[in-house]
Amino acid sequence: MKTRLIAFAGFASLLMAGTAYSEPVNITFWHMEQPPHRVQRMQELLDEFNKAHPDIMVKQEPQSWGEVYAKAPAAFAAGTGPDLLFGIPDFTTVIKGIDAVVPVDDLAKEMESKHGFVPATIAPYQYDGHTWAIPAYNMAISMWYRNSEFKAAGIEVPKTWSEWKAAAEKLSVDGKYGVGLPANKQLYTDQTVYALMVNSGAQDIYNEDGSISFDKPETVSAFETYGALQKLSPPDSTSWTWGEAEACFASATCGTILQFSVINTYETQAEADPADLGVAPVPHADDMTESGTISYSNAIMLTTKDEAKQAAAKTFLAWLLEPANYGRFLTMEPGLFLPVTNDGAEAESFWSDPVVTKYKSQVETMIANSKNGKLFGFTTGKVFPSIGAISGQNVIAESLQKMVVDGDSAADAVKYGQQKMSEIAGK
Amino acid sequence: MKRTWPQSIALFGGLGLLAAVIGLPFWWVASGSIKVPREIISRVPTMVPHSFTLQHFEKLLQSTDFPGYLLNSMVVALFSTAFTIALALPAAYAFFRMEFPGRAALYRVILLAYAFPSVVVLIPIYGLFARLGLIDTRIGLVIVNIAFALPFSIWMMRSFLASVPREIEEAAVIDGAPPRVILLRILTPLIAPGIASVSIFTFIASWTEYLFASVLIVSDAKRTIPVGFAGIIGQYQIDWGLLLAGATAATIPVVILFAFVGRWFVSGLTEGAVK
Repeated sequence: MKTRLIAFAGFASLLMAGTAYSEPVNITFWHMEQPPHRVQRMQELLDEFNKAHPDIMVKQEPQSWGEVYAKAPAAFAAGTGPDLLFGIPDFTTVIKGIDAVVPVDDLAKEMESKHGFVPATIAPYQYDGHTWAIPAYNMAISMWYRNSEFKAAGIEVPKTWSEWKAAAEKLSVDGKYGVGLPANKQLYTDQTVYALMVNSGAQDIYNEDGSISFDKPETVSAFETYGALQKLSPPDSTSWTWGEAEACFASATCGTILQFSVINTYETQAEADPADLGVAPVPHADDMTESGTISYSNAIMLTTKDEAKQAAAKTFLAWLLEPANYGRFLTMEPGLFLPVTNDGAEAESFWSDPVVTKYKSQVETMIANSKNGKLFGFTTGKVFPSIGAISGQNVIAESLQKMVVDGDSAADAVKYGQQKMSEIAGK
Repeated sequence: MKRTWPQSIALFGGLGLLAAVIGLPFWWVASGSIKVPREIISRVPTMVPHSFTLQHFEKLLQSTDFPGYLLNSMVVALFSTAFTIALALPAAYAFFRMEFPGRAALYRVILLAYAFPSVVVLIPIYGLFARLGLIDTRIGLVIVNIAFALPFSIWMMRSFLASVPREIEEAAVIDGAPPRVILLRILTPLIAPGIASVSIFTFIASWTEYLFASVLIVSDAKRTIPVGFAGIIGQYQIDWGLLLAGATAATIPVVILFAFVGRWFVSGLTEGAVK
């Protein structure tokens, strides 16, 4: 009898152990934050989350923005795609187009009530009756300058295009360039041109019915101003991406540039005084009263159909947006990634970062600018699939090149853009 | 024939210009990698460094997975080269010497594989490799590199085989040597320059291959230098010193390798000629 009892107890304990221990739900997380310090910070956060949630195991697999547009659809088609995927609005339309993304309406609602999203950051992901991704961080273009240079030249911070042009002309002395604006057929040029378009009232490139509304006087006006400022830029700016513009500013060669952030480069490479770094909203057209900008809200998509994984992934996203964790997530690149939630913007974990502390006033200005952010193709509340191709083919930048490189008039360049976008939208 | 002074000046001037055109970009990258950040981005560029620092190399080795990327690139490039040579040599010999139906047509057709832009076959290859479990493996990259290098390698190798006098082969045949022995013992030493050329071609192609390495490899630990390096550099903010140090460090192993391999193959060539 005793032997039987022992055997029964042993069997029962085995069963109990079996039910108590189960394999954790594995979540594969693809993001495009490849620089080593970002990967390291992400890993620290994941280690912390995984330790606090033994039933979930989130693993990061950093990817590159350059390849993910081809790689992610191929991976989903082959059944090897991730469960969570970083995205920007136009990339989300690509993933939605292959039916790989799952709406996150319930989680978005919960996070909204708990943390309060900055409206400009979640709006590009809300269309077709659903929320398609949870915003993670924001990036918005601002105008950067040096206080000492403005003071020496007797310049006030420009608020309008006329003031900006006058300031740039004054700063263009001794081999320096008053402004550094790109004219490459590349995303950075799309962004800087659109930053001006927003400031002349040309932010909508689609009509309500999906037809293109690029060719209008406001766009032509933005192109004319951009062309005039571009003439004051370095001659190699027709091949610039973000890095070259930053280097031009950090070396004090360019007086003003439009950039998401120059803080990191200014701090680590220019070795200049933090108090001398100026940041302001992108100047607006003379007949406008308020500045706007282009902003890229980076978000995280849920890309698994497995319900257990969906629940686990949502737990992770909710944990990430908790102010105690969220600030450390944002400061994986201090001074570049901006909060998407109201309580995130006040989080101690964000403001206590040494770089953020050092450049506090600049970061505050960047956050204020980002609240007026817009993104081409995502301004009307309706999203059309052709925006992916229009963005991917850099049609705005290509149109600008017609003017800057080929010598066309602003009106003809904009007409070209209208035609090209209409062709893409019509396919 | 003795050169005149003007001829010598023109010759050495031309050579100097050529060396400058080829060497200056390398000098720019290598010298930049030891400058302090402020000098790298300076408005007035300095041809000769005014500062000296190893901070970029320290950062490269301590804060990044660059050594791992380097090792992965070495493994992938060496295996790709070895297998390409092992396959191209007998294939080229077969096209050169053996008689079989459709030989001439097939010889031309294999080059068609080289004509396809790699991006066209990217997605089908991804799907195929996913079914075979080759995604995120170095073997997958080796297979792709071989597939793309092999057609041109066969063509190159066949041209070198054609330069060997037929009498040498005939002498071996009279001695009773079978085709395998003729290829390995007689022809291979004689076409050492050809093998060297194909090796260099395949190694460089594998070392610099970006598209497939970026798509077929998922985990950071298996990335090769071009892909891993692109990630280190980032998109919006560029650490120029790190970029230059990485570019320099990525070139050094190749230069060292070919300094030795090139000499070894030249030695092999000389031995073959004496024989």
